[in-house]
Amino acid sequence: MDLLIQTLIIGGTGLACAAILAVAARFLAVHEDPRVETVSAMLPGINCGTCGFAGCAEYAKDVVLHGAAADLCKPGGSETAARIAAFMGVEVSESERQVAIVLCKGDNTAAKRTVGYNGLLDCGAAQQVGGNGKACRYGCLGLASCARACPVGAIEIRDGLATIHPGLCISCGKCVVTCPRRLIRMVPESRSLHVLCSSLDRGPEVRKVCSVGCIACTLCAKAVNGQGIAMRNNLAVVDYTVPLTEESIIAKCPQHTIEKRPGTKGEAA
Amino acid sequence: MEYILLIISAVLVNNFVLTQFLGICPFLGVSKDLATAGGMGAAVIFVMTLASAVTWSLQAFVLAPLQAEYLQTIAFILVIATFVQFVELVLKKTSPGLHKALGIYLPLITTNCAVLGVAVLNIKKAHTCLQSMTFGFGAALGFALALILFTGLREKIARSNPPRCFRGTAIALVTAGLLSLAFMGFAGLVKM
Amino acid sequence: MKTLRALFNPRGGIHPAYHKEATDSTRVEVMPVPKTLYVALNQHLGAPSRPVVKKGDTVLRGQPLAESAGYVSSWVHAPTSGIIKAVESRLTAGGQLATVVEIEANGADQAIESPAPATDWRVMQTRELVDLILQAGVIGMGGAGFPTQVKLLPPPGKTIETLVINGAECEPYLTADHRLMVEESARISQGIQIVQRILGATKVRVAIEDNKPEAIAAMESALKMAEGDIQLVVVKTKYPQGAEKQLIYSCTRREVPSGGLPMDVGALVENVGTAAAISDAVFLRRPLTERVLTVTGDAVANPKNVLARVGTSFRDLIGFCGGLRGPVGKVICGGPMMGVAQSSLDVGMNKTTSGLLLLSRSQVHQYTSTPCIGCGRCVQACPSSLLPCFLSENLEAENFEEAERLNVLDCIECGACAFECPAHRPLVQHMRQGKAKVIQLRRQRETKASRKEKAT
Repeated sequence: MDLLIQTLIIGGTGLACAAILAVAARFLAVHEDPRVETVSAMLPGINCGTCGFAGCAEYAKDVVLHGAAADLCKPGGSETAARIAAFMGVEVSESERQVAIVLCKGDNTAAKRTVGYNGLLDCGAAQQVGGNGKACRYGCLGLASCARACPVGAIEIRDGLATIHPGLCISCGKCVVTCPRRLIRMVPESRSLHVLCSSLDRGPEVRKVCSVGCIACTLCAKAVNGQGIAMRNNLAVVDYTVPLTEESIIAKCPQHTIEKRPGTKGEAA
Repeated sequence: MEYILLIISAVLVNNFVLTQFLGICPFLGVSKDLATAGGMGAAVIFVMTLASAVTWSLQAFVLAPLQAEYLQTIAFILVIATFVQFVELVLKKTSPGLHKALGIYLPLITTNCAVLGVAVLNIKKAHTCLQSMTFGFGAALGFALALILFTGLREKIARSNPPRCFRGTAIALVTAGLLSLAFMGFAGLVKM
Repeated sequence: MKTLRALFNPRGGIHPAYHKEATDSTRVEVMPVPKTLYVALNQHLGAPSRPVVKKGDTVLRGQPLAESAGYVSSWVHAPTSGIIKAVESRLTAGGQLATVVEIEANGADQAIESPAPATDWRVMQTRELVDLILQAGVIGMGGAGFPTQVKLLPPPGKTIETLVINGAECEPYLTADHRLMVEESARISQGIQIVQRILGATKVRVAIEDNKPEAIAAMESALKMAEGDIQLVVVKTKYPQGAEKQLIYSCTRREVPSGGLPMDVGALVENVGTAAAISDAVFLRRPLTERVLTVTGDAVANPKNVLARVGTSFRDLIGFCGGLRGPVGKVICGGPMMGVAQSSLDVGMNKTTSGLLLLSRSQVHQYTSTPCIGCGRCVQACPSSLLPCFLSENLEAENFEEAERLNVLDCIECGACAFECPAHRPLVQHMRQGKAKVIQLRRQRETKASRKEKAT
């Protein structure tokens, strides 16, 4: 008899609750497009915000419901873009993955300092007062603002110079906008020859402040007949849209500003 | 008058989180952001107040007459779970942002010992229905108060620079302890 | 013309040791023109001037080197006669890179012919007068360098009722404005009249701190015969009494609203140096090419008030004042509270350089900051009624939205909070960074909003 009462009480209560919830669920239903979940699963889930949305879930929603472009996810790269495009039935163009690189080689050993700095350890803050004592007005400040901005910790500060590990870089571009001296560039990941300097000072001025800065001697540009390297404002600038494979320029450079760095999956030199 | 004393007792003197140490899980889990904490507090007030009324009615009209008081725990949990699920459905519809922010802690109100505690305490103290509702409301208000106070403190700590070994939950627990000490000052305010 | 003590006093502020005794009673000395001058083209707020000369050109004193490049911009003129050695990007006194014109003086110091004034300024049109001031390259000489011609033409709907003349000079060490008032009170008084006429202001308040009795006496006698509602207001000595919003409060008891400008309360503030420059521009048709600044500090041999040409390098200024006396800890362009520390002495002074501070090593301390102790001294000191402790914490944690909500954009960067802070927190640096980031955020928000509008 007791067992029956117990069953009735609990069963009854349970049924009553279930009925209330069932009715409530009918009225409070939220319709979710199941495709959003599928697209969301294709994304890396880093929530870096490069796509322009407030996170991977928001981007997935916008792709499915509002027709956002399928190739906005830079960390996902062309693989993710292709998968999303195939799922949504749209076209996307192929593009090579880009990685970030700091175009400066002036660490504390190579670059001179003129004065001490006693201020905020932030590159933007230092730039507001004219730098942190590094003599070269174009060089890397080494106060790690880019490293802090990187969501995956791909940037290391070694001896006052920022270096990016291309294998860890997710191409989000946050470091590019953070650097107040605009030293970081996005380059195709397969490229390995780089002029690691951004100084627009003339040769004699550069020699005074840094032992590895570009002095615009033009030997590298001449060696490739202007195909791939151009001289602009006292600086040799690599054109990343044109192939450049002449490795002899590394030895030709008197300041050792040109280096070969593996594009991806390798260690930064 | 006694209802006011009931509320003061539940909110300050015998604060469910800081004096009776119930419901610590959402207390630590949801106290990172003030807006989320406010939402959680509101959800708990809703659940506790109504659950107190319904569980009291269940005890008075079903369990006691049928002499099945031993089914109290299971039956109460059933009722509380229903309320929580109802709140979750409402939140998902009306405020998806808050629903996402609360995450797992919303369904965890079901197993929150504070809610079950209040329901059981009402029976133990032989409250009337109205007294149960008032006590439940007061308890939830106390929970919300403690949660919001603690969230404000944690937001400031997040901006500060505690020693490495203390960062995160460690300093949070120390702060919770100090907050409890502060609430001990209310002891003896009302005799309940 | 009445002289009276200010009845109102802005909130907060500090009372640092003023160190003005070294130069406040010495006459201004005229510095001979140095061999090389470095004239920056970004001396004013707004668009840097566009150069109209190139390397190799010969110029005379007063000849334009660069023209105004926009509505908020100004002209820059050659401070002496000579040859242009370079027009290129160089380091400037503010710390940024900008176009600098390097001039090698030829020693003749020949000036261009200034046309004699054809009409009496009293019958000239407002627009003509303002044009003269623009062509003379007059900018705010109190330090901000806002192009004066923009200030003198408020937008329709904003009338300037009260003209406040800033003779406060609240920064420690600086005595340039003080000596200018003592020695050139006539020129300042003429400038005041011109500005009053241009603005149509009914009230004029000349504010001078009470630690400058000589200047008060000099300005009193210069303004004795002035007509209309003109008063000399003796304000309490306090830093930052001379900040424009605070001075407006002292003189008119009106508070400039958060995010607003002085014209929103019908007021306009002009520095005494700017007034003198305006007088030169209108009466003598002479462009702004020199100014008085205080070279002082315990590391310089002979501290002085110097009348120097714009573009004189810090090195030459120090040389004129007897050179350095021992190792220097900091070289500050401006005052110790709001000036900018320099990393090179071969940088030219600007139209806005009011002082050059040479502080010895013993006067400069390297602080390491510790966490905020919640003492609240910064809140008491802030003249803009802000909460520097909370702002600094939020900015350190990069909560820029919260910083915007706490009105970081109203910070005048006076440094009173940092002066008071016992934990030596870098409050002003945080504020500067925060303001830049919040402005960036606002711009991003606007672009997003306009993009959304265009889409719908």
